[in-house]
Amino acid sequence: MFRRMIVISWRAILKNRRRTVITSAAIGIGLASLLFTDALFAGLIEFMVDTATETWMGHAQIHGDGFRETGRIALTVNDPAGVMEKLEEDTMVRGFTGRLIAPATMESSMELRPITLTGVDHTTDPDVTSLSASITEGGYFTGDSTELIIGEKLAEDMELKPGDIAVLTAAAADGGFSSSLFIVTGICSFNSERLDRYSAFVNMEAAEEMLALNGEYHEIAVLFGDPRAAEDNGDRFRRMYGVHGNTAEIWPVLQPQIHSMVQMVDVSVTVMAAILFGLVLFGIVNSLFMSVYERMYEFGVMKALGTRTAVISGLVLLEAFWLGLAAVVIGSLIGWAVVSHFGAAGLSFGEMEFTGLALNRPIYPVLEPGRIWIYPVVTLVFTTLAGVYPGIHAGRLNPSEAIRRSL
Amino acid sequence: MKEKPVIVTRNLRKTYHDGGVPVEAVRGIDFTLERGEFTAIIGPSGSGKTTFLNLVAGLDSPSAGEVELSGRLISSMSGRELAAWRRDHIGFVFQAYNLFPVLTVEENVEYVMLLQGVGARERHERVMRVLEEVELADMADRLPSRLSGGQQQRVAVARAMVSEPDLIIADEPTANLDSATGGALLDTMKRLNEETGMTFLFSTHDEVVMERAHRLAVIKDGRLDGGGSGK
Repeated sequence: MFRRMIVISWRAILKNRRRTVITSAAIGIGLASLLFTDALFAGLIEFMVDTATETWMGHAQIHGDGFRETGRIALTVNDPAGVMEKLEEDTMVRGFTGRLIAPATMESSMELRPITLTGVDHTTDPDVTSLSASITEGGYFTGDSTELIIGEKLAEDMELKPGDIAVLTAAAADGGFSSSLFIVTGICSFNSERLDRYSAFVNMEAAEEMLALNGEYHEIAVLFGDPRAAEDNGDRFRRMYGVHGNTAEIWPVLQPQIHSMVQMVDVSVTVMAAILFGLVLFGIVNSLFMSVYERMYEFGVMKALGTRTAVISGLVLLEAFWLGLAAVVIGSLIGWAVVSHFGAAGLSFGEMEFTGLALNRPIYPVLEPGRIWIYPVVTLVFTTLAGVYPGIHAGRLNPSEAIRRSL
Repeated sequence: MKEKPVIVTRNLRKTYHDGGVPVEAVRGIDFTLERGEFTAIIGPSGSGKTTFLNLVAGLDSPSAGEVELSGRLISSMSGRELAAWRRDHIGFVFQAYNLFPVLTVEENVEYVMLLQGVGARERHERVMRVLEEVELADMADRLPSRLSGGQQQRVAVARAMVSEPDLIIADEPTANLDSATGGALLDTMKRLNEETGMTFLFSTHDEVVMERAHRLAVIKDGRLDGGGSGK
């Protein structure tokens, strides 16, 4: 009997070709939209996390206790050599670099500005940050202690260009003040207000001398081999490196606003999926009810001939299943094609800024492996379940009434 | 020993509520149908013929009274029991072409046997035999949409009788057919009645049916006029 039910339901679907195509296409397009939106948001999240971490911050950072809260220059990383040795041996770590960070002022012939002075280890920094790749004018550090790289907005404000001279003044760890003369050798652009307008980068040796901190670091930025390792192994990282007077944190804690955005995007996709599945539910229920009412006579005759209620309900469920299957095939193909196209070509948003991050390069939609089958399977299950109510309705039809009403 | 009647109804009543107004469609019918009869229930439109047939077939439950089919009281059966009872004991031919449009002639005819769990080979043999009897064996693979109205009704007759039920109920089977086609259909049914002894109960106001019936039972205003004892 089940085989005959499959045949009847399948042929019923084929008989109403127009309705089948319209319903399946509508659900399929919804599924394709969901796949694409999910992929786009996954690409956006990847972009946001990459931009937030691999531009400058790293996936995780190690500080001396209290430095993040107070910014006091005396609070450096304890036993930096020991920490770096451990990082060197850590298989999850792709790269790390130490920094000195202090509030300072920068003076040109035109302006005096408050800035954040950052001492950069130019031998390890390119493994962790995109500073070297962000140079728009001039060049990266070569090791000369007078080299100075500044953000392009700061350069604009202070009317500085490569070759110009600037004086940096900062409070040293020994309590004194130190001023040094630097030559602007590079101008960088991170598309970040904080980095482009308020940052000045100098060689580590120059920073050590100015701040009277030899062989010390305020911050060690770490990149993991797999960016997801930060979230998955946050506790392990904290336990390993957040000891002996040091604090270790991963990027979701260091940049909570980005992490919140990632979560918000996840919620948005879930809400979108819920709306879509709600529409699917109503669409398919409507379509199946139309089918049930059109074929009331047929169902009435079936019941009159002794067909059990469950068999008739099962028939409607099977029709819903076929509709869902057609929709899933259509939707998956369209979704896959669109995601593949934009996954290769990228989607450009011009100079749009999103949560403080400039979308200055194309976003590449990424369909995560799990999503490729989860959405279609959920769509199929939802579509089939949407047949339950019309199925029960059809199964409960009074045969004499169904036949009389359809005559 | 005399065989039990196929149908016995006692004081059968059915009241509908149409927009809250009670409508007495069947008002206390006592009726007996013997095995092998070819009987027509006649009466004007709205007289209660179809309602009576629905009650007899177990498609509707009576408001009062009893229906006994082959000695079994069906008016007290549950919906599930009734479905199984109809499947095994009653064949139907309805007014409109009542075939499943997505099934072929053969699939339509074997449908009831499929519900009964009859094996594939036996189903095929019985279907082809009964299609031969209604002279449609060469159309077994066709869909109903490719048959004429008369042919569709003959397929419906084949489906009704293929499981050899106690009773075949036909509600205005010729209503949608021209008189020649209707006459031919009735001749086929009468021949099958004579050859197999199968019991037929019609509702009709078609003279073609009345001419061929053994007995006419007249229903008027929900009551059996004159007891329906003979032509």
